Amino acid sequence: MRQKRDSSSSTSPCAPLRDAYHNCFNRWYAEKFMKGQWDKEECLSEWEKYRACLSQYLEDKHLSRFLEAEGVVSSTVHDDLGEGAASGASQ
Amino acid sequence: MVKAYTQEHTYRHPWERVTSASWRKFADPENKRILSHILEVDTLNRLLDPPSGKLYTTRAITIHCPGPWFVRKIVGHDICHCVESTVVDARSRSMQLTTRNISLQKFVEVEEKIRYDPHPDNPNGWTICQQETRIRIKPLSALASMAEKVEQRCAEKFLQNSAKGREVMERICKYLEAESSGLAL
Repeated sequence: MRQKRDSSSSTSPCAPLRDAYHNCFNRWYAEKFMKGQWDKEECLSEWEKYRACLSQYLEDKHLSRFLEAEGVVSSTVHDDLGEGAASGASQ
Repeated sequence: MVKAYTQEHTYRHPWERVTSASWRKFADPENKRILSHILEVDTLNRLLDPPSGKLYTTRAITIHCPGPWFVRKIVGHDICHCVESTVVDARSRSMQLTTRNISLQKFVEVEEKIRYDPHPDNPNGWTICQQETRIRIKPLSALASMAEKVEQRCAEKFLQNSAKGREVMERICKYLEAESSGLAL
């Protein structure tokens, strides 16, 4: 796909940061993760910028239940993985 | 009142390419035109577990779902929010996505599960996609009397949209195939 995406149709103020992160992730997924290089995550700075914007936006829109839903999911994930793995969870 | 639908589709592309395409499904502008009911897709959380080669992702999906006037009247809007959880197991080569609505849960629960696995007949060349959609209308909801209609509409929409989703997936796979052979040259 094109590296640049038309975010003008989006209503989210985080769309440019989201696109930057998703482009980075898609590259990492296809070129590294799918080729057996799953020792470390990349795109961390893109993720942090996007995530900060998104948290603010969801709060403003009273959509923080998304974040609650996330809490539920990630806590099951942690249970599933056991203690050791959970430390890498939050960046 | 539960309705369940299952669908199966074979992609003549390897699992690695199909799952890469799955992540791109909602993002490309051309796809956005076809999948115009998808308004926003945001990544809420991502966790890589290096020892197991598993990647966990939670995304928020905002969908435009115009219903009949009485649904809009009761619900007050025609936007609905869903949460999608995905596990990719790179070691065993499986991808599982589960999507649930978090809006309108008083009225209806929709759960969609999609699995991508290497096709048993050609594990390195093809991918099998199995999709199950369950729609449950809450019996005591304000919509109970209209539930049948809503359920039917919901189901029709889902089936239409998953056909569109397949079309988009096929196109992205072709694109990725062309891209990778271009890089290989």
